[in-house]
Amino acid sequence: MLENTKCECGHQNPPDTALCESCGKPLGTEALTDGPLEMRYDGVARRSQKSNPNLLDRIWSFFSSVKVAVVLIVITLIAAIFGTILPQENAFINFDPSWYEEHYGLAGKIYYMLGFSRTYESWWFITLLVMIGASLVICSLDRVVPLYRALNKQQVRKHIQFLTRQRVTYAADLEDDDAEWMRKLAEQFRKRRFRVRVEDNALLAEKNRFSRWGPYINHVGLIIFLLAVLARAIPGWQLDEYVGVREGEIAHIPETNYYVKNLDFEVEFYSDDELPERLKGTLRPKRFVTKAELYVCEANCGSTALEPVLRKVKEHDIVVNDPLEYKGLKLYQFDYDTTPRLKTIRPVLVDLKSGETYGPFELSILEPEPEYELGPYRLKLITRFLDFTVNADGVPGNKSSQPNAPAFLFLIEGPDLPEGGETFFYFPIPTDRERFGQDLINGELAERFDFRVTDMAHVEFLGDVSYLNVRVDRALPYIFAGAFISLIGLVMGFYWQHRRVWLRIDDGRLTLGAHTNKNWYGLRSEVAAALRSAGLEADPKSLDNGGKRR
Amino acid sequence: MKGRKRKITQVVILIGILLLGGYAVGTSLFKSDEKPKIGGRPPAFENVADVEGNLHSLADYRGRPVIINFWGTFCPPCVAEMPAIERQYQKYKDQGLVVLAINLSEDDITVRDFLKRFNLSYTILRDRNRMIERKYALRSYPTTFFIGRDGRILDIDTGGMTDEEIERYILRLLET
Repeated sequence: MLENTKCECGHQNPPDTALCESCGKPLGTEALTDGPLEMRYDGVARRSQKSNPNLLDRIWSFFSSVKVAVVLIVITLIAAIFGTILPQENAFINFDPSWYEEHYGLAGKIYYMLGFSRTYESWWFITLLVMIGASLVICSLDRVVPLYRALNKQQVRKHIQFLTRQRVTYAADLEDDDAEWMRKLAEQFRKRRFRVRVEDNALLAEKNRFSRWGPYINHVGLIIFLLAVLARAIPGWQLDEYVGVREGEIAHIPETNYYVKNLDFEVEFYSDDELPERLKGTLRPKRFVTKAELYVCEANCGSTALEPVLRKVKEHDIVVNDPLEYKGLKLYQFDYDTTPRLKTIRPVLVDLKSGETYGPFELSILEPEPEYELGPYRLKLITRFLDFTVNADGVPGNKSSQPNAPAFLFLIEGPDLPEGGETFFYFPIPTDRERFGQDLINGELAERFDFRVTDMAHVEFLGDVSYLNVRVDRALPYIFAGAFISLIGLVMGFYWQHRRVWLRIDDGRLTLGAHTNKNWYGLRSEVAAALRSAGLEADPKSLDNGGKRR
Repeated sequence: MKGRKRKITQVVILIGILLLGGYAVGTSLFKSDEKPKIGGRPPAFENVADVEGNLHSLADYRGRPVIINFWGTFCPPCVAEMPAIERQYQKYKDQGLVVLAINLSEDDITVRDFLKRFNLSYTILRDRNRMIERKYALRSYPTTFFIGRDGRILDIDTGGMTDEEIERYILRLLET
């Protein structure tokens, strides 16, 4: 059987309407009590309240529930807490999965295995965000549309019960002429910036209706915010990488088509008078600058064998908080390494017996020549190590591919040397010479020959390494826009209140009801003041009809 | 009439949420799959030079069992397993086995002088600026990928390998 939802005023209301959309007469359960009315959404039915829900309606009404929204938000907050227990994977430049177990034992391993090491990128966290988004959209639509309609076609003359069951209500017998008194009161409300409509011995005064849209504007902002956060998953929208580039060199920026060149790097330290007592004598960087150039690769980009074809697109002096910016790509100064590393030395070969020196000759650490002629002697390069070490089997090798401890193995040929020459190990860095025992390795030959660098002018160092943080975040402007819109909505809803006053005069008897969404105290004194100015003495407190205190 | 219009709005909004949400969730699922995994396809590389300067692409070896081994002269276990790889390569190269040993972006002299000490007949490739290494998301050295004839990663081994271990992998590779 179809429920009869027609009001006595003749208006056909949708099912589950609490207050007649036209005259405001309490319907359904609201009609059974006589306390203050439930005025949320002006008593209209939400869109999802339907008599025969199908699957679509069920999904819709699931997301339209504020209870569901609150539960979703609480679950998301709890899930987000898990992501703050241990550092997340993206906090590492070089991530190693065993790190969790090494630092936190079994708990760390479980944490990693459960995927909490990347909580915020996990599919289930994103799913929660998407569900909150759905809930935001559907909850808002489900309420804002009926509310807009209800507020847009308000009847001036309301049912008498609608007035007496408001939380602010008043009744009195009028002595003056009805119409004349109504005109006076309307004038009072207009003075207080109400918009007043008078019809058929009834009056409706209303102000600040726009504040009712505040929460929905806030939600629009939040939806934009959420969409922007999710948009970071679009390829190319977000990048967070690190690149180290030595002075005078060019380096590829990972996951992009760009290269960055470090023309010059400079670091300035605080002088001792600028530092507090406990830091005196320590090197504290004050400012570091990378003169950088950005290049875009036009051909041979992914190749390891062919030289990439580059075109310069931007140059900038990168300082902390002043990144190089190009088409949404930002290069931030992140770190540096000024550990001196040899580039070229110009040693002489010393004949220790005769005191004779030969040279100097130019010895490049990275690209040495295969042969050097020094007076009567000839040096043949057998091999060169960049980071010399002797491994477990006693075989010399490299510890890394960085020139931390260069070593050269030469074959020396010349007078008074056996046919086929003799081998000679040379460590250009004095501490390495001690550490690896150059003289011991070279044996008798160490008493005859040596390489010496006679002047520091004969030593050239590699440039400093500047580490840059490469970032792309195309979502950021949208995140800010969303946050700003959301703030506008909050301000609208917080600092203004929607106030309405209805009244009707029936045979010289005035009945008044008033409603607001907050600040009832303000509404009561405003109504009392308007009544007083129109000649009716009313104490603000006496207008109070009970109901929930907000 | 009104109900119909409302229904269309509901359907449009739900489909919109499903599409956007599905995309967001889908990419987050897909993202964790970037690293090469057993059963997945190895990241492609093109025109990588060997020590003689000849260019190789992974696609050149489609349909053949391939071992991709990452090594550096600074990594003792990498160096230690190289003779074993050579022995096994000699044993199975007639059955189509390919070994691509990718050096970890070291300089010319280091690689050249190092290789003089060994007599290796399998292909040594030269990575530059860690480009291939990054694609393969290496965490430790040596790491070896075994790629079956079907072009899928059959197994991944980290750390040095003995003759027996390598042979076991190769026998599995030849079955693909």
